[in-house]
Order: sequence, then C-alpha cells, then structure tokens
Amino acid sequence: MLLVPRQLRRAGMTGDVPYYGGRFSPAQAYALSHPGPPPASVATAVDVVGRTVPPHGPAPSPPPGPPPSPPPSHGDTLASLRHLLDSGVISADEYEQLRARV
Amino acid sequence: MMGPVQVLVVGFEQPAFSGEVLAEFTRLREAGIVRLVDLLLVSRGPDGTLDTLTAPPEFGPELGALAAALLGRPVEDGAGETDQPDEAGGWSLADAVPPGSAAAVALIEHIWAGPLTAAVRRAGGSPLEETWLAPADVAELESLIAARGG
Repeated sequence: MLLVPRQLRRAGMTGDVPYYGGRFSPAQAYALSHPGPPPASVATAVDVVGRTVPPHGPAPSPPPGPPPSPPPSHGDTLASLRHLLDSGVISADEYEQLRARV
Repeated sequence: MMGPVQVLVVGFEQPAFSGEVLAEFTRLREAGIVRLVDLLLVSRGPDGTLDTLTAPPEFGPELGALAAALLGRPVEDGAGETDQPDEAGGWSLADAVPPGSAAAVALIEHIWAGPLTAAVRRAGGSPLEETWLAPADVAELESLIAARGG
C-alpha cells in the first residue's frame, strides 16, 4: 500500500520538549538582550610583600577596545534581515515584523 | 492511559521480520518494561514513494496496520504529497527513511515510564531537554562509574 507520510510532532518521554528550530530559545534571546555585569575577577592579588589577598572592590576595567563602529545603514540592516530570512533563521512573518521596525 | 510511545525506525538493506528481535520484545513485554504496539515494514522507492511491505502470514494480517494509519495516509484517499504543513520540530517517515531503502518502524510503549511521567507532571515539572547519550559519552560514563568503584 502506498503511503503519504504524515507530519507528526516530536515529543519527549515526559512531554513536549521545546524545539526552536535551531534558533535561540526565548531564554537565550533574553539573556543576550539583557547582558549582566561582567563577572568579578576571581584571581587573587599579591600585595607588596608577596602575600596573596582576596579580590575586593570593583573589578579592574578591561583594556579599551577598538572604537565603536558606526551604526549600520538602513540598507545594510535590510540586507542582513533578508539574509536571515533566506538562511531560514527567521520566518517570513518574523521578517515582516522586523522589517517594519527598521 | 498508555505510557510514552517511542517510534523506532531502523534501516535494513533487506527488510525482514527478525525472530530474535521479536523474541526480545516478548521478553520485555512479559517483564512489564515495554510493549511492542505495532511493527511496520516500509520501502522507499528511488522517487521517494513510500510503500508498506506485507508481513509474513504467521504474524497476522493486522500487523503494521496501526503504524501505517498513524504515520501515513493511503494514496488512494486522494491525499496530496503532504496533508499537513510542516511544523517546526515535526517529522515524518519521509525524513527518516532515505529514498531507495527499507526500514522497520516500531511503535514501542514504555510501560515502565508511565508512572514516572505522571509523577513528573504532578510535581509540576516541565520537560526542557531529552536525548540519548552518544556511544562515546556512554563509554565515558562507564569509565567514570568504574573509577568511582561501581
């Protein structure tokens, strides 16, 4: 008997395991858009007489990085969005929503 | 209520109903561990068409009927190539069985997991991830257990 395969949902043994199609989960997206403070240095310092002392006070600032790049142009942003759509990272609906914000 | 049901798709060069495998399923069923709900043999043509294979008479005419009804629709029904839109995370036998090959498709109810699943739900737990360890990771786990002294 010839069969037309049906699409079925995936599930785990204890229920429907979230699947985000290889994209960021909501928790990962939230974490990236809300970066926390840099982690405090855990390295111990050595005082002038050679004793190790625990770190205290604010962590030293990281060395200055390169100057910030200028914001992307309107065309660059749309091209990037288009690339995300073409590569399957975002859906057509998401593309339209994001494009409306540009 | 049934326990979790696993779909196991195993490819074969020559499709066959292995007596050894079926005997193991019988043993697990008697031990209350798993139940073989149904077993279906399929072949996939080079053009992608999916065809069911008839089971030997000793297994009865119903073998494979449940799995076929769940995992596909007869072409005679006039269904299109796909009768449902692809949904994120979905799957079908077309994804699992490569063209030009054959496979055994087993529906396996994990009887032992029913009470565990119910307990997880009662405790308010929600699944976040579930997978199997790769063989290399199982080997690493075995060595960790051995190093711990069993």
